[in-house]
Amino acid sequence: MSHTSDTIEAAAVEAATVDLPAHAEAPGRRGLQLPNLTGFILPFIILVLWQTAATYKWIDPVFLPAPLTVVTAFWKMLTKQKLAFDFLASINIVGQAFIYGSAAALLLGIAAGLSRKVEEFFGPTFDTIRHIPGIAWLPLIVLWLGIGAPAKILVIAKSVFFPVFLNTLQGIRNVEKNYIELAKVLTLTRWQLIRKVILPAAMPSIMVSLRYAAGLAWALVVVAEGLSGLEGLGFLIFRAQGLLLTDQLLVCMVIIGLVGFAIDRSMFLAQKRVLKWKQGYDG
Amino acid sequence: MATPGHLTIRNVSKTYSLPGRPLVNVLSRVNLDVEPGAFVTIVGPSGCGKSTLLRLIIGLDDDYKGEIELNDKRIVGTALSRGIVFQDHRLLPWLTLEQNIGLSLENSGWTRAEKDLAVREHIALVGLSGFEKAYPHELSGGMAQRAAIARGLASRPEILLLDEPLGALDALTRIHLQDEIQRIWEVEGVTMILVTHDVEEAVFLSNKVVVMAAKPGSIVETLDIDLPFPRDRADPAFVALKRRILTAMGEDGGKTATRAA
Repeated sequence: MSHTSDTIEAAAVEAATVDLPAHAEAPGRRGLQLPNLTGFILPFIILVLWQTAATYKWIDPVFLPAPLTVVTAFWKMLTKQKLAFDFLASINIVGQAFIYGSAAALLLGIAAGLSRKVEEFFGPTFDTIRHIPGIAWLPLIVLWLGIGAPAKILVIAKSVFFPVFLNTLQGIRNVEKNYIELAKVLTLTRWQLIRKVILPAAMPSIMVSLRYAAGLAWALVVVAEGLSGLEGLGFLIFRAQGLLLTDQLLVCMVIIGLVGFAIDRSMFLAQKRVLKWKQGYDG
Repeated sequence: MATPGHLTIRNVSKTYSLPGRPLVNVLSRVNLDVEPGAFVTIVGPSGCGKSTLLRLIIGLDDDYKGEIELNDKRIVGTALSRGIVFQDHRLLPWLTLEQNIGLSLENSGWTRAEKDLAVREHIALVGLSGFEKAYPHELSGGMAQRAAIARGLASRPEILLLDEPLGALDALTRIHLQDEIQRIWEVEGVTMILVTHDVEEAVFLSNKVVVMAAKPGSIVETLDIDLPFPRDRADPAFVALKRRILTAMGEDGGKTATRAA
């Protein structure tokens, strides 16, 4: 959707809410606001405690290096080693796994949601596979595909697949009967019914699962890389543990946390955008 | 302009069977003739089958005995020549107001321009101009119900069915929308059938009021309302008609009648 049409729409809605006395409380987010700093208080406290603990040597630096040491290690890893390369390797695996896993899940989830036959066909098999954790698949898949990216992509895609598949299926099954009846009254064809009614109605449930799956994929890449392969943040973390490079270990942990945070936030924004028709609870 | 439909209901009966229970007669030998352009209201206690009758006319349920004809053609399934407004506005929350109304024109066979025009005209008809891009959650209950009326009329049906469309609204909004429905009916000239619990609403809007009773669901009385429009709710003739209808609802609605009157 283009930016212009979006602003026009927003303006119209704003106008609508202004005209409407019953709707005095327009949804928030108007004008420029100072960024909310509440969320930064706790990280700041942790940082201060961390620094204090390091300064007064409460904990042996081998186990907890000072924040500044970690920053130096970060710089060293970035310039002298190939942190960026490892970072991109992890991102690449997660990105591919998420796209393949969720695309397959959406396709099959929609098919199973629309047809009991399809659901019955896949049901027992999927329910069994689902209960074997992705990580338990890894050894076998590594035997087949080697320790490179494809094995990890496959295993993570599997973990992405199930939450999205199940939520898509459930989202479609939960479409209100009233809406189906309305579609009948309006003489919509099956395809129109799917496109205009069923898929949009299932979208909230689908978006929630995509957001969850993206976070899950990112968490799993660390484990998968730790278990096999010679690159990626997960590999670096386990190598750092082996070599007792606690500063490097912490660098990787912080990066993983921040990227996970960024992934979740962007998925949340995507969700908000797709579901802007939904009356949200803003807290 | 829509050609108002002539609806004929002949000997319509419908039974529900639940396992292990005797058959329930929801409708028993219902006969009703609705003149083109008329406004007919069906009143009756809960369970008298008035909403079931609307479901049969709109074509959501084909399992009945007897005949229902629109302009001498037996109705089969749903069609754009028959519109309906439900008690819940049933606007799709992910579509804007104009998209919701446009949805009823998907299979109208009209050109893009004709559809746009019909959407615009009907939004104006129900007084919602300026809200074209609003989502349903941004509309009040009364506005949403107006939108539903616009959607019901957009495809220019021959007949519009109203299934307790004002039942969920507060008293003031309801009175206001009764005026609106009256005006819209006169402007559009479409045949309308309203189902309601509200006897005053029935007398205010209709040419003809049909009183139904339950067990089995059947028509017990039909009254012509000849008062000129717009009607005055405090007019003695109006009040007298109200009382007659309440009396006709008597056997099952006796207590309601004395209380409401």
